[in-house]
Amino acid sequence: MATAMPTPATIDYAGGTLAREQVSLWRDGIRRLRRNKLALGAAIYLGFLALVCLVSIFWTPYKPNVIGTCETYQLPSAAHPLGCDDLGRDSLSRLMVGSQVSLSVGLATAIIVLGVGVVVGLIAGYFRGAADAIVSLGINIFYGVPPLLVAVALYVLLGSGLINIIIAISATVWMDMARLARGQALSIREREFIEAARAGGARWGKILFGHILPNALGPIIVQATFVIPVAILTAAFLSFLGFGVPPPKADWGGMANEGLPSLQGGFDPYILLFPALALSITLLAFNFFGDGLRDAFDPRQKR
Amino acid sequence: MANPVLQVQDLSTSFFTGDGEVKAVRNVNFNLFNGETLGLVGESGCGKSVTAMSILGLVQRPGKIVNGKIVFKGQDLVRMPAEELREIRGRDIAMIFQDPLSSLNPVLRVGFQIDEAMKAHDKVPADQIAQRGVDLLKEVRVPDAARRIKDYPHQFSGGMRQRAMIAMGLSNRPEILIADEPTTALDVTVQAQILELLRDLNQEMGTSIILITHNLGVVAGLCKRVIVMYAGEIVEEGPVDQIFESPQHPYTWSLLRSIPRIDADRRERLKSIEGLPPDLIALPPGCEFSPRCPFRIEKCFTQDPELETVGPAQRAACWVTMKRAYAEMGAADITDTRPGAASGIRPPKGIEARVADRRELNAPPLPTPASDE
Amino acid sequence: MLTRGTLIYIGQRLVLIVFTVVVVSFGVFAVVHSLPGNAFVSDRVHGQALQILLHEYGLDLPIPLQYWNWVKGIVLHGSLGVSLYIRGLPITPLVLRELSVSAMLGGSALIVTIGLGITFGVLAAVRQNSWVDYLLTSIAVVGYSVPSFVIASLGILIFGQWLNNLTQGALYYPEPWSGTYGSLAELSLPAIALGFYTSGQITRITRAAMLDVIQQDYIRTARAKGLQNRVVVIRHALRNALVPVTSILGPTVISIITGSVVIENIFGIPGLGKEFVESIFQHDYNVTVGVFTIYAILIGFANLAVDLVYTVIDPRIRY
Repeated sequence: MATAMPTPATIDYAGGTLAREQVSLWRDGIRRLRRNKLALGAAIYLGFLALVCLVSIFWTPYKPNVIGTCETYQLPSAAHPLGCDDLGRDSLSRLMVGSQVSLSVGLATAIIVLGVGVVVGLIAGYFRGAADAIVSLGINIFYGVPPLLVAVALYVLLGSGLINIIIAISATVWMDMARLARGQALSIREREFIEAARAGGARWGKILFGHILPNALGPIIVQATFVIPVAILTAAFLSFLGFGVPPPKADWGGMANEGLPSLQGGFDPYILLFPALALSITLLAFNFFGDGLRDAFDPRQKR
Repeated sequence: MANPVLQVQDLSTSFFTGDGEVKAVRNVNFNLFNGETLGLVGESGCGKSVTAMSILGLVQRPGKIVNGKIVFKGQDLVRMPAEELREIRGRDIAMIFQDPLSSLNPVLRVGFQIDEAMKAHDKVPADQIAQRGVDLLKEVRVPDAARRIKDYPHQFSGGMRQRAMIAMGLSNRPEILIADEPTTALDVTVQAQILELLRDLNQEMGTSIILITHNLGVVAGLCKRVIVMYAGEIVEEGPVDQIFESPQHPYTWSLLRSIPRIDADRRERLKSIEGLPPDLIALPPGCEFSPRCPFRIEKCFTQDPELETVGPAQRAACWVTMKRAYAEMGAADITDTRPGAASGIRPPKGIEARVADRRELNAPPLPTPASDE
Repeated sequence: MLTRGTLIYIGQRLVLIVFTVVVVSFGVFAVVHSLPGNAFVSDRVHGQALQILLHEYGLDLPIPLQYWNWVKGIVLHGSLGVSLYIRGLPITPLVLRELSVSAMLGGSALIVTIGLGITFGVLAAVRQNSWVDYLLTSIAVVGYSVPSFVIASLGILIFGQWLNNLTQGALYYPEPWSGTYGSLAELSLPAIALGFYTSGQITRITRAAMLDVIQQDYIRTARAKGLQNRVVVIRHALRNALVPVTSILGPTVISIITGSVVIENIFGIPGLGKEFVESIFQHDYNVTVGVFTIYAILIGFANLAVDLVYTVIDPRIRY
């Protein structure tokens, strides 16, 4: 990799050089990302989705939650491009509103996991000893139960609000991030510039977040982008099983669930198909984007 | 000795990469005679391994043999159908590789890997394969062979692994054994044992050996004849004694001077070759060694020399040759090995930009000589 | 094969499994027993009558004591307790029967996943950068992006309805399925829907591992021996590529368990996953705890099995 070549700045104090290396790494990564057509297409779709989500807060073609806007099980038509559901609600309007749930669950979970997973992992990796033992045990225990079941149990415990769903999902996906941050901290803490910082009297908070975190940021951000599709998928599973946002609020997993009987009955597959399609394309886009990001910023890590 | 078992004629192999055609081997001609041990010498990247891989038809995409013939038993291996060539690989022509650590499959037992080579061909009767596996390991002097044959490669030491590789290579009693840097990854004492083993095998079984190495010391101990390659071409060939005594190509001369010698004057510094080998995508016009050659003349930058006879059975591709360099340029006393140092010739304008060295001829010598590897 | 080190390792893992199961079961126990409402809500029993019921099932005791009684029940009688919804029905036989159904579905899905994933991964790697490669890697990405309930629904739509005249109901059936375990035909669609998701990950890892392995020197050695290409790819390359593939078998099993909860509910398969969701809706908490515990044990042993598979695939790995 061209950027790994030592620059004349290598003679500088190691911490400073590393920071500069990081800067050129970022610039290089963004350039590589732009060249990746698939990731670019995914980014454009996700931008469009974000726009739809914003618009849907203020405007939808019909009121999404009003029953009897049109005939029940109406097939797609000019007035209702995606048809209507079993209660006579406009599917397009509900699909638009449904993006709010998916996007907010995905992003909020990623942010929570970033916060909690990184802090817990860094502390475990930096201090080792008892802190590491406790965190590692916690990680192992959470890996030992099926995440969807944990999310269901927490959902039932906490209640059905959107925030509770986000918390429940976060509790099932933080382990990968914590493990990654722990590994990064374990290896970076042995590098010379950490030694230098410690010798310079820096406190552990400063070392963790001022020195170790910036150098582990690439893989951490890549990991965070993969949390988003997993969270959206888990949320969809939850609401498909009936553990979603409280009705009448629309979300894609719940819409698919409502559409299942009419698909199985063989009279209207569209109620299920459109939210399923929206969900699948969104997950695909997040995965492509995440792949592109990983290839661009973390070329060593191959899956 | 007179009849060749293998004739390589005008062999050219290239790799077609995104950056262009890498001409790894160009117009290589040589014969391998029956029972002979032939040395193939050069820096890494000079095309010696690619030549060997071409002989076995193992050049992988994006590489391709673009020209030439490889004649074995009257058949051209280059144009042979893949299945027939597969039959020859490992049965008539076997190959052993540089790094015995990575060249043995880590998840399969050593014995299995040896037997497999025999099972792939029908030369050894099926009921004798298991016994022959043990015998081979004994032959290459692996102690306690009957037990060790059930081990996995990671349970073997480096030298033992190379012995196992050799056993594998010899399992079908091939006519030709190609040994690609067989001792490079090993300890010095183990190196000597492996070389001795190869010599014994050559003498006892009459197997012809092509020994590929960058180590001239290895060649001196084992080979009668040597071929020196540089940047994909043969630059000099001839009997080992003669080449060591009187190298005629400046590259061979420089190579020989870069070997540490126990009998040399302690005060004399080792002479490394200045500069780097040329870019095989954009080769310099004229002689490929000219950008690094201390004895170059104007002609070297424009015309590529052919191999010409320079002594009994010795041929070199050079416009100057060391005879002239000694006579006219004082090569005997030269300590300054920078390009053009002895002849005082600088590259013509325009070519200068394309040759690798950008150093001024009369600039003070750099504190540390650039290493080639 | 089973050296002393391996046995010690297995012992350590068993201790960890027991520990995990205890922590998980207690956690779930504490959570579900502190939930508002109980299994008797639907019976409209109040006051004195409710207290008597609660006492009968030991639900009026402090939670740690309830848990202790529950553990005693398992250790002494192998009993996971009784159902609160269908009063007094012992859970253990029920859950074990459902486990066997789920295991059959999950096992079939695992075969689909590994079979598809490894075949696609090897083909994609052998034909790197050809249309085969692009097609198979695209299928893989679609595989792990499209939720299993979408695949299941599409399967129902395509095979159950559009192509039903062609397949004569061979691939889809009006739920619930026949008998306890269903027929092979009934099993196939759910198993494919369930296995397809994880096969994408396996395709990806197999392809990457194969591409890496094909570069290795020992593959060159194998070719130089004159082995047939098929032998080189399968015996020499795939054997080595399976090592990284094995590392995601643990997560794969967890994914399949997660997916089976959804798939069993769509296809009306009487397995653990369906029981789990029902138990939550019915406030039948003893069943919920029982299902969780069984899953935790299952995952523990699956991971242990994967670690032992490692030692079979890669002789360098010893514990």
